[in-house]
Amino acid sequence: MSMQPDRRIDPITLEVIRNGLASIADEMALIIMRSAYSPVVRDIMDYSTGLCDADGQVIAQGLTLPIQLCSFPRVMRFIRERFGEGLRPGDVLITNDPYGSGGQHLPDIYVMKPIFHGGELAGFAATVAHHTDLGGIVPGSVAIYATEIQQEGLRIPLMKLYEEGRPNQSLLDLIAANSRQPVEVLGDLRAQMAACATAERGLVALLERYGRIDLRRYIEALHDHAEAMMRQTIRELPDGVYVGEDFLDGLGEAPEPIRIRATVTVSGDTIDIDFAGTSGQVAASINCPISLPESAAFTAIRCLARVDIPNCEGYFRPITVRAPEGCLLNPIYPAACGARGVVGYRVFDAIMQALAAAVPERAMGGTEGGPYLLAAGGQWQGRSFVLNEMLVGSWGARADRDGLEGVSNPAANLSNQPVEMIEAEMPVEVTAYGLVPDSGGPGTFRGGLGFVREFRFLKDMGFTLRGDRRTHPPYGLEGGGKGGPSAHHLVRRNGETESLPTMPMRGFSAREGDRFRLVGAGGGGFGPAFAREPARVLDDVVSGKVTIEGARRDYGVVIDAATGTVDAIATRTLRENRQ
Amino acid sequence: MGAGFRVGIDIGGTFTDIALVDATGRLEIRKIASTPDDYSRGIAEGLAALVGELGIDPASITGIVHATTVATNTILEMKGARTGLVTTAGFKDVLEMRRLRVPVLYDLAYDKPPPLVPRQFRLEVRERLGPDGNVRVPLDESDVAAAAEVFRRAGIEAVAISFLHAYANADHEIRAEAMLREALGASVYICRGSDILPEIREYERTSTAVVNAYVGPVIRRYAEALEARLAHIGITAPIEMMHSGGGIMRLGRAVTRAAALVESGPAAGVIACARLGQGASGTANIISFDMGGTTAKAALVENGEAARTDEYEVGAGINLSSKLVKGGGYPIKMPFIDVSEIGAGGGSIVALDGQGRVTVGPQSAGAFPGPVAYGRGGIHATLTDVFVTLGYINPETLAGGSIAVDAEGARRALFEQIAGPLGQDVTTTARGVLQLAVSTMTRAVKAVSTYRGRDPRDFTLVAFGGNGPVVAADIAAALGIRRILVPPAAGVFSGLGLLRSDAEQDFVQPVLRDAGSLSADTFAALGEDIKARGRAAMEAEGHDLVSANFRLSADLRYFGQAYELNVPALTEGGVAPLIEAFHAEHARTYGHRSDSDPVQLVNLRLSIRVPAASEINGFAASPAMLRKDRRVDFPGGTLLSPVIGRDDLSSDWRAGPLIIEDYDATCVVPPGTDARLMADGTIEMLVRGQ
Repeated sequence: MSMQPDRRIDPITLEVIRNGLASIADEMALIIMRSAYSPVVRDIMDYSTGLCDADGQVIAQGLTLPIQLCSFPRVMRFIRERFGEGLRPGDVLITNDPYGSGGQHLPDIYVMKPIFHGGELAGFAATVAHHTDLGGIVPGSVAIYATEIQQEGLRIPLMKLYEEGRPNQSLLDLIAANSRQPVEVLGDLRAQMAACATAERGLVALLERYGRIDLRRYIEALHDHAEAMMRQTIRELPDGVYVGEDFLDGLGEAPEPIRIRATVTVSGDTIDIDFAGTSGQVAASINCPISLPESAAFTAIRCLARVDIPNCEGYFRPITVRAPEGCLLNPIYPAACGARGVVGYRVFDAIMQALAAAVPERAMGGTEGGPYLLAAGGQWQGRSFVLNEMLVGSWGARADRDGLEGVSNPAANLSNQPVEMIEAEMPVEVTAYGLVPDSGGPGTFRGGLGFVREFRFLKDMGFTLRGDRRTHPPYGLEGGGKGGPSAHHLVRRNGETESLPTMPMRGFSAREGDRFRLVGAGGGGFGPAFAREPARVLDDVVSGKVTIEGARRDYGVVIDAATGTVDAIATRTLRENRQ
Repeated sequence: MGAGFRVGIDIGGTFTDIALVDATGRLEIRKIASTPDDYSRGIAEGLAALVGELGIDPASITGIVHATTVATNTILEMKGARTGLVTTAGFKDVLEMRRLRVPVLYDLAYDKPPPLVPRQFRLEVRERLGPDGNVRVPLDESDVAAAAEVFRRAGIEAVAISFLHAYANADHEIRAEAMLREALGASVYICRGSDILPEIREYERTSTAVVNAYVGPVIRRYAEALEARLAHIGITAPIEMMHSGGGIMRLGRAVTRAAALVESGPAAGVIACARLGQGASGTANIISFDMGGTTAKAALVENGEAARTDEYEVGAGINLSSKLVKGGGYPIKMPFIDVSEIGAGGGSIVALDGQGRVTVGPQSAGAFPGPVAYGRGGIHATLTDVFVTLGYINPETLAGGSIAVDAEGARRALFEQIAGPLGQDVTTTARGVLQLAVSTMTRAVKAVSTYRGRDPRDFTLVAFGGNGPVVAADIAAALGIRRILVPPAAGVFSGLGLLRSDAEQDFVQPVLRDAGSLSADTFAALGEDIKARGRAAMEAEGHDLVSANFRLSADLRYFGQAYELNVPALTEGGVAPLIEAFHAEHARTYGHRSDSDPVQLVNLRLSIRVPAASEINGFAASPAMLRKDRRVDFPGGTLLSPVIGRDDLSSDWRAGPLIIEDYDATCVVPPGTDARLMADGTIEMLVRGQ
């Protein structure tokens, strides 16, 4: 049992302070959700909140998106570099720029507020939210076919949005003028600022309770504690060099696979992750600023821990992450990066596969692959609208249980937009939203089912897409099968069906009455499918998650349709013959 | 309320509290063991014993008000009805896909709560409405008939019907209900989404309808058993049930709105606080703090009204009221008193993990084996053992001598399990654990106050439940709260709340229009419509509305937001004052407002309250207790503390340290806090320097 090294640290007070910090980060998240304007933030919940100490190190995270949360440190480093001692009470900082400010892509606006107490810097409130639209060539500001960041919308280098309590109205006007949805953008920015103000009150209250010096010492102890737990977690992994690879399907009509390669070196109580061998940056907007691969790496390793590590930056310390300049994961200006999110999820997958070789019992088969994007926009009933769908839905199987379906990707914590809200506000009808039978990767434990979401356009409009996981479906582990592939189908009013690319390098025009059918990939399986208990297969057949044909084909289980029971003899024969 | 007796019955997992008030307002209180195999049996036996003992004619009992955990337990134990669901074609998986989010980050071993309706009993029918209620695809009755046949063969006991946009047009659901009713007979419980929750957002509405259907038949059986058992002992008074919104409703309505019962017990406690505020104790702004054996609960009472929410996840474990779309339980969207709950009660286990972290709860030793101090086989140190070790509660006996306390065992467990491994002495550890528990419970209080933009320092803390008054002063100190009230009968205060509740029902009218565009006439007409509807519904149930109170309010938001704020509304004077009230409430709750953005009127809400509360102005004498002064380890030092009874206090302030022991609860007055007795028997405490 490891105890606190610093004898002046009372473990109980440490826990009290940890509670206090976590409750501030959650309160921030709540305020954004409830007062934001855009469906992306209020319904899909694509935003994150955290609290940093005076050195800019994260000390608490709200119940939001891991893949965003672990990106605060890099923005904080730029803030410290850029402003140093030049921060004043009442300042609020803003940026969305991946180049030189620590951002990930332009829609993600970071709003950070330095918090002062007794005239001294005490910490920072940190928020990031995905904004509906910041201009650029398509509604939603995520055009996968953009080739330079200048095509993607408004860049906001790290600067002050408020200076000693006074708003930078010129900047606010500039942002509003560059967005297709200025009311939503300004409303969401206000929600982010309100969350920062809440954090300020909360942190000051804690300081008044414990004093600046004491709180600082406890926060340092929290970092140390998290670091010690992470080092302990890493020590539990066998030393070695593990290589994991995964692929993006590729761009356009004739896609070439894009490689993500992670070399994970476990050595004692440290982990080094090197992305050398990953494909180079591309002339499309899936280039992924290093902030996101870092964040994905921290998330993946944190997921392998079996203990409740405090969500503070101390646990990042034993982990190093490197990517060669000019590769997909560390692109050189002015590479476009609007649709980079999918790459972050594939980084998570590559690391997960590498470490599955070391600790399969802690790993998970491939997920749906990250959010599938559909964006559309136009004018309707005298107002402009932007539909931003970010659809997630399946986990891979675990060593001792099936994968989940109808769930957010573990590296995100996204929600889905209510169908009724979409239809009430936009000229789109959702005609189906459900699970796809036989799409879970077969295994001793089955991957979660993929999902289908089908839209009918009620007027002519343009739309853009970004999917993945069609030619490289989610991986299985330990002999488990791959998850079912994704699909994009445009069904014209006359019934003609067209399969659209996963990462199309162009936009599409839909006519009134056309349908678009989006299928998300199913999760990967774990262990050989023929070892799955027939009773579990029967349960899946009864619930319609696996068809009778699927049970025979994928699991070697013969179900008698008339009686609804397993034909044990036929099953044994089938399984023996196919072993 | 007439010349007879009224009885409040609050069933908890361990104890059932019975409160009986006579026509003069005099109260009798009993705690009896709950009978989880059939709760109605314990109630009937307890009541029979009480009327026998007091020589009361059962026929002179004129009202029964009841709160129960039956609905909640049904869900927690997954013992609800065999339930089916009928949905719009293409959407049977909405119930299972939920809102996707998970309540914990970085946990690959997480499992979702299983859907209350298995996939094979979620059946689709062809029909489709638009958001304005227009029929896009007519209802295919052959699909409904086919679904009914599947349900009939499978022996389905309850059916939920939830079609897209049915909040805007219930016709298809009503027709489907009629067909299912005809095919399945009167015994099958049927719940329509458009009836239980006529509001936009398909998952929340479907989930609410499904929870209602899942627990409905259980509540119906329970209601029938209770009525029969009470009739058997000669009690034929109408039974009313407390709902989660803090009002009472007739038993028949409770059966059709069974999901509304899930927080009935906690709601009763908050209502008791609200009434306390309206009485002699003289405060309209209260934070209620209820700490029992397994959890601590907090709620906010403002201007004499309990703060409400309309979102709740039952079975999500700890409910921090945070409303962050957590996904750990089964959402119910109905009016709830906004109670935040955290797993820190007297039975909560104090533990040390492999990393040297001390935790309190949420695991609980429950009533059995219970804390080590109770000597009933408990081996894990609990918060009660910490209280005993510190001297906060009596180290020899509890409940007037009926429970022997093993203080040495409590101290030893705390040493062996926590203090020893930490290298601390027991007293230091006990003090630290108390502070940790206080910080955890403080989160529950913050969830209903600071999370809503309310400063707890502006409120009076009302502490009740068996352990609430033990830690009230520490909680108040941690939050900067100055004034604390500990009401009489604090240990059975929820039972008292039942007798202090009014009949109350809520009605909602979706509007979804730009508030600024509504003329004064249109707005007034909307208000009159909902009032007429509410009046008709309550009169149909036999309520006399002569002295009823009609409270109209509106849910508003900035156009584009997804969450509304509720503000009181007046139908006369147009809509402008309402819009300004919304801006102000938005600024107060979230710290910002935007006067230039259009405001959307989402719903009008009406709450009709028919007075039913009994006056309570006296208490039957409690049994004599032996008390002696003892040493108590307060945070600042160990002091010899006088131990007195409530009746030993007077209207003169008396400085702590002081321990006030009642039959049903102990009140700790630490140094730096003063206490006195108010005219109605309430203990008032003031924390100095706050």
